[in-house]
Amino acid sequence: MRMMKKNKEKEETVRQPYTKTTAVVQVVMTLVALLFLAPLVIIINYSFKTRQELYLSSPLALPQSFRLDNYIQAIKKLDMGTTYVNTFIYTAISVVILAMLCGVTAWAIARCRHKFFKFCYIYFIVGILIPYQALFLPIYTIGYKMHLTNTRYGIIFMYVATGLSFGVFLMNSFMATVPIELEEAARIDGCSIIKTYFTIVLPLLKPALATLIIMQSFQIWNDYLLASLYVSKKQLKTLTVAIQSLFSAQTSDYTTAMAAIVLSVLPIAVLFICLQKYFIKGMTVGAVKG
Amino acid sequence: MFKNKNDRQYLFLVLPGFIIFTIGLILPLLLSFRYSVTDWDGIAAEKVFVGLKNYIDLFHDENFLNAWWFTIKFTLGNTIIQNVAALLFAVALDSGIRCQKIYRTALFVPCLISAVIVGFIWLRMFSNVLPAVNDWLGTNFNFMLFGSGKTVLWGLLIANNWQWIGYWMLIYLAGLQSVPSELYEAAKVDGANAIRRFFNVTIPMLAPSITICVVGITTGSLKVYDLLVTSTRGGPGRASTSVIYQTYTTAINGRQYGYGSAMTVTLVMALLLVALIQVKGLKSKEVQA
Repeated sequence: MRMMKKNKEKEETVRQPYTKTTAVVQVVMTLVALLFLAPLVIIINYSFKTRQELYLSSPLALPQSFRLDNYIQAIKKLDMGTTYVNTFIYTAISVVILAMLCGVTAWAIARCRHKFFKFCYIYFIVGILIPYQALFLPIYTIGYKMHLTNTRYGIIFMYVATGLSFGVFLMNSFMATVPIELEEAARIDGCSIIKTYFTIVLPLLKPALATLIIMQSFQIWNDYLLASLYVSKKQLKTLTVAIQSLFSAQTSDYTTAMAAIVLSVLPIAVLFICLQKYFIKGMTVGAVKG
Repeated sequence: MFKNKNDRQYLFLVLPGFIIFTIGLILPLLLSFRYSVTDWDGIAAEKVFVGLKNYIDLFHDENFLNAWWFTIKFTLGNTIIQNVAALLFAVALDSGIRCQKIYRTALFVPCLISAVIVGFIWLRMFSNVLPAVNDWLGTNFNFMLFGSGKTVLWGLLIANNWQWIGYWMLIYLAGLQSVPSELYEAAKVDGANAIRRFFNVTIPMLAPSITICVVGITTGSLKVYDLLVTSTRGGPGRASTSVIYQTYTTAINGRQYGYGSAMTVTLVMALLLVALIQVKGLKSKEVQA
């Protein structure tokens, strides 16, 4: 199926002649792309400037030398050792739990004919229609009452709970790619439902799970509201929370802040560039029929 | 209820996710309804039932109404600009230009950045970088968009659109690439020009993507908060206070949990209503392929 699509794409590019209009579109899109990239280039440029250059020269001027002072400052001010590790732990554990739960939940919902599972599907979709940000207040209250705030497992629990809806929806749309005949054969051979999932279905779901893991990692890594509500202890803080306090503390000297931005975006940017294929597949689920 | 042995096994598989989801999201949803009819301050053990008083107060609360008004304008602006721009860029990238992937990545990268950081980036862009561009070009545009209540909405729209256009563009691009080229051929044979082909072939075939983008952009804009924290902090004055921002100040800083919960409920209702209208309205326009 995918091969066919690729071939079709190729045919089209060959068939479409490079006309004057195409050339104009090319020029316009180049300008648009440059405009979109400009703020990022400016940030990187800023992150190498000294405080003196910040005040005396134009923001557009290049730094005199590529010194890493700002980066060293940023690492210190953000307490990078702690915040990086925290964000990484929260993201990694939540995402692994999500991958385990969403696959199995979506599969059961897709396969079981019992009414309860139809209800389940709608039940989980509610979480997509109402993003957790809208419910931040009761989520905070419940976390406080259940002693989930200021604990690692508390925030991981909430990331899992708020990520489930999207995960189940995503995995559900992949279920059509799992051939039901294989499952039936396994059942006839005497496999239980649970064993069928782990031996037959789970290996087939691997690419889908990769998509899920990438999509959710980027959500959780960038999350601010939940982290700011659940974590106030210094040793539990995440990168976004630390960066926010750095922004509000240093309004005039922002070269450090710019270096901090570069450092916090870097891991996600690298992840995206390496795994673009999965990322795009995850995003376009449901947008294309079939 | 679950007499069949197989059903019980399926249930066993669904249960962990079901329970976590219920505690983490559905219970808070129900709690917000429960707290919204009390005058709870977040600390006291006793929650006095006040009926619909909080909701009646909301309708007289100018700050709350202003927050809704800002959120609605922000949402409408985003839905229109992002959809149109994303679709245009997708069509442009799909028109046979070279190096499509480079453009795609360039436009997409901003959405990998946390909204908290995007807010700060544009704060600096408007107050430092763009005025320098003015000096450089010798022009005199007013770029201090976050400085006045009249322009702050535009500033935030620029920041938000810069972040998200590439994301929705990718979805449209995937939709465009799944339109069978025979349809265009047939339209060409029938003598339809490029504009008519766009409106009579492309748009109807893109209906599923349009539904996803419109619903996604609307719900995404209604929940705006992160972007404001580092850019405008709801200001100047209260000009860019969103519903969630207002709820945060009222409930967490002002210790009016009951009242804040009523605000939450209005937002939840609005989200459900918007999703319902959009899915119903847009689904009916989708072509059965």
